[in-house]
Parts: sequence; C-alpha cells; structure tokens
Amino acid sequence: MDVSQYLEIFLDETKEHLQNLNTLILDLEQNSEDMNTINEIFRAAHSLKGMAGTMGYKRMQNLTHDMENVFSEVRNGNVKVKANMIDILFQCLDALEGYLANIQENSDEGTEDNEPLIKALNDTLKGQDAVPAPAKEKAPVKATEAKVAETKTAEAKPVKETISKDPKNWKKMNLDEASKEALSDYVKAGKNAYGVTVFVQESCILKAARAFLVFKALEPIGEIVVSEPSTQDIEDEKFDLDFSLFFVTEKSIDTVLAAIKNVSEIREAIGEPVEHSQLQITIEAEDEEIVESTEETGVVKEADTAVMVSNQDNGAGKQEKKNTVSKPIVNRTVRVDIEKLDVLMNLVSELIIAKNSLVSAAGTEGVSNNTGVNEQIEYLESVTTNLHESVMKVRMVPIESVVNKFPRMIRDLSKKLNKKMELYMTGEETELDRTVVDEIGDPLMHLLRNSADHGLESAALRKERGKPAVGSIFLDAYQDGNNVVIEVRDDGNGIDVNIVKNKAIERGIITVEQAENMPDKDIISLLFLPSFSTAKAVTDVSGRGVGLDVVRSKIEALSGEVEVRTKLGVGSTFTIRLPLTLAIIQALMVTVGGEKYAISLNSIQTIEDISLADIKTVQAKEVINLRGIVIPLIRLNSVLDIESAKQESESLIVVIVKKADKLAGIVVDDLMGQQEIVIKSLGKFISKSKIISGATILGDGEVALILDTNSLF
Amino acid sequence: MNELKVEGDTIQFIVVKIGKEQFGIDIKFIDNIVRMQHITRVPKVADYLCGVINLRGEVIPVMSLRVKMNLSADTISKDTRIIILKFEQQGAIGIIVDEVKEVITIDASQVDKVTYDTKDERINFLSGVGKTDNGLISILDLNVVVAEKENA
Repeated sequence: MDVSQYLEIFLDETKEHLQNLNTLILDLEQNSEDMNTINEIFRAAHSLKGMAGTMGYKRMQNLTHDMENVFSEVRNGNVKVKANMIDILFQCLDALEGYLANIQENSDEGTEDNEPLIKALNDTLKGQDAVPAPAKEKAPVKATEAKVAETKTAEAKPVKETISKDPKNWKKMNLDEASKEALSDYVKAGKNAYGVTVFVQESCILKAARAFLVFKALEPIGEIVVSEPSTQDIEDEKFDLDFSLFFVTEKSIDTVLAAIKNVSEIREAIGEPVEHSQLQITIEAEDEEIVESTEETGVVKEADTAVMVSNQDNGAGKQEKKNTVSKPIVNRTVRVDIEKLDVLMNLVSELIIAKNSLVSAAGTEGVSNNTGVNEQIEYLESVTTNLHESVMKVRMVPIESVVNKFPRMIRDLSKKLNKKMELYMTGEETELDRTVVDEIGDPLMHLLRNSADHGLESAALRKERGKPAVGSIFLDAYQDGNNVVIEVRDDGNGIDVNIVKNKAIERGIITVEQAENMPDKDIISLLFLPSFSTAKAVTDVSGRGVGLDVVRSKIEALSGEVEVRTKLGVGSTFTIRLPLTLAIIQALMVTVGGEKYAISLNSIQTIEDISLADIKTVQAKEVINLRGIVIPLIRLNSVLDIESAKQESESLIVVIVKKADKLAGIVVDDLMGQQEIVIKSLGKFISKSKIISGATILGDGEVALILDTNSLF
Repeated sequence: MNELKVEGDTIQFIVVKIGKEQFGIDIKFIDNIVRMQHITRVPKVADYLCGVINLRGEVIPVMSLRVKMNLSADTISKDTRIIILKFEQQGAIGIIVDEVKEVITIDASQVDKVTYDTKDERINFLSGVGKTDNGLISILDLNVVVAEKENA
C-alpha cells in the first residue's frame, strides 16, 4: 500500500506530538498528580501510536503502545509517577525521535527494536503493582472499570445489533432518480451492479484516508455510481465507521471485496449484487427506509462516541466537553513549502527592483513634470512596500519551535551535571524569518549549555555565596526595532577575566604585555576565538572549545552579532542581535572612486562631516575624536583598491558604523541617499571577497555591491 | 566531464575567437550570449574575475579568459560578447570572448583528445580537438576554464 503521500503530514504531526509530549512530561515531573496533563499525554501517545500504525511503522507503534499502557495505568491511578519513570519516558521519546529521523532520511524506521526500553516500561508497570498503596485505590478503579465495561456493552449493543441484524447498509441508501437510472442502465448493458458496505476498524485514525484508498482500489476495476455519505463528506471524514457505495463492474463481487479488504485497517466489507427491486422501490417505501436509516445511524453515532469516550477517559463528561470546545479553536493555517515562499519573496524582490528603476526613470526624463505619473509611482511604492512586509510576515515564524526543546535539555543537563537549575523563558512568540529560526537553534543550545556547565556554580559554592540552591538560566527574546534580541542569562559565577587572560597567554594567543594593556571587554571577547575553552575538564556537555566560536560564526553568518556582559560572582549575559529579515534591507548608498556601494542602515550609527584638521594619528593610524570617543578612520578607497575621485577638500564625509559596541569611521567620497535594496548573492565563483557581503541591482539596472562593514573592524 | 564520450552522437559547439585563436564551447553549458555591458568591479578577488553584471535581475560574475590564459587584457570592441555558462553545482558565470563566430556540429567521433604537453600552460584549457571541413578547432575544457586558478 502506498502511504508516501501522507509521509510529510506524518512527519510534521509526529514532530508536533513529540514536542508536545516532551513539554507535557516535563509538566508531569513538576506536578505528578495533574489529571489534565496525564490525559493530554495519553491522548498524544495514542495519536502517535495510531499514526505510526497507519503508516506501517511497527516498531514505533510497539513502543508507543507500551508507553500508552503506562500512561493509562497512571491515569487509572494504578501507578504513581516516579522520577525513574519520567527518565524512561524521556528515553522513549528520544528513541521515537530516532525512528523519526530514520524515517525522514530513508522513509524506513530502521531496525532498532528498543527492547530494553520496552522492558523497562513494562517493569515500571509490574514493579508498581507491588506497591501497597494501590490496594485501596484499585477497588474504585475496578468499579469504574466495571461500570465503563457495562456502559460499553450496554451502549455498544445497538451497534452490534445493527451490524448483525443487517450489515448490508447499502440497502438503506437513499438513491436519487439519476443514480437509479444510471444503475439500471449499467445493468441493462450487461454489467454487474453491486451494493457494498465497508467497515473501518474502530482504532483507525485516518478514516478519510482509508476510504480514499478504498475508492482508489476500486477505480481501476469499475465505477462507483454513488456513495453514502457523499464522496465529499467521506473526504471530510464526516462518517462513522462504515460507508456504503454502489459499484458497477465487469468483475465478480469477490474480486471487488478482495480489493477493498486489501486496504489495511478495513475491518469488513460486504456486498451483493443489487436487487432489481431496490432500483424500483416505491416512493413511500423509500421514505420509510430513510426514517429508519437516520434513526439507526443516530444510534450508531451515539453509541460510538460513548464507546470512544469511555475508552479514552473515565471522566467522560469532561472529556467530551473538551473535545467539542477544542474543535473551533483549530488554527486556520495552511502548511506551505518554504520553497514556494522563497519564490514569492524573489518575485517581490524583482518587483521592488522594477519599481526602483521606474522611480529613477521618472526622475531623469521629461516624465517628471507629469504629476499623474509621479502620483502613481508613489502609490506603487507604498504597495510594493506593503507587499514586501506581508510576504516577510508570512515567512516569519515564532522562535517557539526552536526554544521549546530547551526545557527538556536543561532538565537532562541538570541530571547529568548534578546541578540544580531552572530555565525561565520569555518571548517565545517573538517572530523571526524562517531561515533564521532554522539556524538559531544550535547557537542558543551552545549558550545554554555554557551557562549550565561553566556558568552555574556547584550547589555548595552557591550556598556559600548566599545564592538560592537552584540556579536560574533565563532565555529572553524580544523585538527591538528592526532587530530581534535574544538574551541568554544566568545567575552563576560569571566569567573570570584573569582565568581567561592566563589561558590566552598560555595558549599563545596574546603576550603578557598585551594582556596587561587589554581592557576586560577585549579579554572576554577572546572567548569567541576558535578552540578556546576555560572548562578545566572536557565534559560531555561542553569544554571542547568549539562552543563560542561556532556561536559567533553562526550568528554572523545570519548578519547578526553576539556580545557578552559578565560580572564575576553574579552571572553573565550573552546577547544575540539578529536582523528581522535577510532578503531586503534599507541601505545607505555611497560612492567611492566612481563606484557605488551600499551600507546596511542597521550598522550605521551616524554620518559626520569631519574637518581634515580633526584627524589625529595614533600608532600610525588615523583616528578622530568624536564627542569624546576615539574612533579609527578607515579610508574606503584604499580598502577597495581604488583611487578616490574626490577633490582634496577641507573636510571628509565619514560614515560611523558600529559592530557590537565598537565604532569605526568609514571615509567615502559622497552620499547618494537611502534606498530599499534587495540582497543578491554574488554566486559561488566570487566567494572569496570578504569585504563584500552581496550585491544589489539599482534602479538603472547597474549592480552595486554591499559592504560588509563588520569585516572592516 | 565526459561530453566527448557520447557515442555516435553529434556535439554542437559555439565557435568563439579569443586573441587570434578560435575555440569551441560545448553548447549544452551555454545559457546565454549577451553583448558587452557595464561590469561592476568586485574588489579583492582574483585578477581574472572582472566583476559582476546584471542579467535580467540576476547578479552574475564575469571572468576574462584572456587574463586567465595570460594573454593581453581585453580590448572591448563591438564584437565583444559575454558568454553565460551555467553549471549545475556552481551556478552561472560569464566569460568574455572577442567574437562569436558560428555554431558548428561535429560528430563525436571527430573529436580527438589532446595529447598533453606539460610545457604549454594554455593547452590545459583544452579538452580536445575537433575536426571540421574548415580545419581544426580547439575545444575548451570548461571545468578547467572556470576552476579557481592557483596563486592568482
């Protein structure tokens, strides 16, 4: 059977469920009595099992099945939640993620059976049975169970009855004239017309998909004349466990039924040739049958939900309520391939370029005295800007999807490092461009691990310092103008500048004299150099010295920046600043030696007119003193190997750019003005140019290069 | 690149002039041929990379074959063209040629591999020699042509 078309959905949903489970089990660890959490966990595990089963991933199904067993025992109060049980459950989630990764890679779940885990799961069940406490609890549970069983049988009876009495539901179908005519036409033409009723297994999750597969299996061998419920309703899953159809074919009924039963999770399919009488039923009789059938489906429905509810929850009422309430809240969202959004974004970029050329064309030729044209161009400008913003917003996703996994990670770290710690997160709803969100996970993880491992002190030391025994790590995200700021903060030891200094000297990164003259800030930034780690022992968690430089290079690749603030004994804060979007930016256009360059407005602090007399020389380097701050001057023409086209004059135009908290003054020939530019890659052949981060196409079609001012520092 | 091993097939080449010599470029790598236009210089890159051009909204790097082959610098005339080559992995790149002559079709069997003479640096740019009615034509090995030159 081909389920590949559902694979994407399966992967997405499974990931969601797993994330959900991670969060819920964390909650459970905090509050092991919360019935709501337990119920939700149970439901998530159940859906997972169903989905894995549908897709034919047996091992995954087995594991989730056993997890579900544990949850159901917990829910029934037979087993208490214990620390080691939580551990095992987390291991199970990891194993499931392993399956998922395998499936994603080669659409096969792999061969790992995870038997030890399953055994451990079952052991928790058995082991807990022996605990004396349940003796009292068991009785009421049994009673409820019995009650449930009773209601089950009582209410399930009508279902059984209807099925056993007359499972040939198609006979009750209400045929309209047209289908009757069509059927009898086919019969006259010598084909066989069959009425078929298909029963789907009760455990089936994707009923609509099953029905679809049944339809698909039938299509090659004949024609489905009419179905009950209608095809549309079946697609929307508006049916219970069975559906009926009239089918015309040249094949025998056995072939038809065999084809249907070939689809998995189909419990039963029954069919017979259509009796002539049904095609010519009198109208009154039909009416009667309708009444009967609606009545009966009503019963079936009721009984069905009852059974399902009693299956899922003892507090049936509450559950039912929740179900009905949760339905309308379902987000009205569409899953869109990110590639399609990229295409859309590219088109918007093209549009902005076209708009820019219109603007420049209108500015030069005689068109400009026509006010109508100008008005329209202004209108076009506002439309394209809005369009760009909307497309950008579509690409924005909350960082939630990335940071959600961190509480679990901190919990594991806490166990592994044997330090008590707690993660507090705010601003999970902060949105960033999808491409950025995908990349930000690793750097954040590094920072959190750093905080957990290097930052937080051991419990004894914390006590000595009068800090609370449980260390705190904070992850705060917020939007700040055109940037998104993510802060990772801890109340730990902070960074000891002297240790860093000694280590740097030891490694030969700086000399002793250099170290003495270096401000603390610069010394701390040494931490971001490759292969620099102050951890005394290389642990599993960190200490290989790959952390911080990876963080920095990743963030800078996203056109962002990282800075550290730290106070010894109090804690440290890592601040990541990221641009909201990467594709279109506001830039200042400048000229140097007749060439046009763009500088991102984000990195520009101010633009100054500096008189030549104000330029001083320090260590053979030109600097200026701007309002009390000494700023190095960079002559852009010499960096770019070009002759300045500007005549010697009394003053220089200096663009003050910033990188983190450092400033530099870039000397340019002239300013052209601010412009919205679309960033284009220079391609693989020109990747070596470090000072150029990309190119853009100007209104007149000319290519201008974008300066990476960060590389000038 | 084994474009020469296509058996019993014909290969189409675009014949271009660089300096005094004529070269054949396999047509399947050619995306476009455009007139010489303004090239935006990119600083701090190899000398044979002239810069980038705007080709219908795409930024495409352009290199000078003459500089790469250690010939004199390009002299731009009305016949100068930029041939846009497209590679699956590296993307597009333009090469400047003095003139585009014609398109020829050669039977694959009429293309011989060159015997390498290690002394001549220029021969390394060739993947073979094609025999036509009007004489021989050197066929450029495009992978070598666009490959990054060492100590450039």
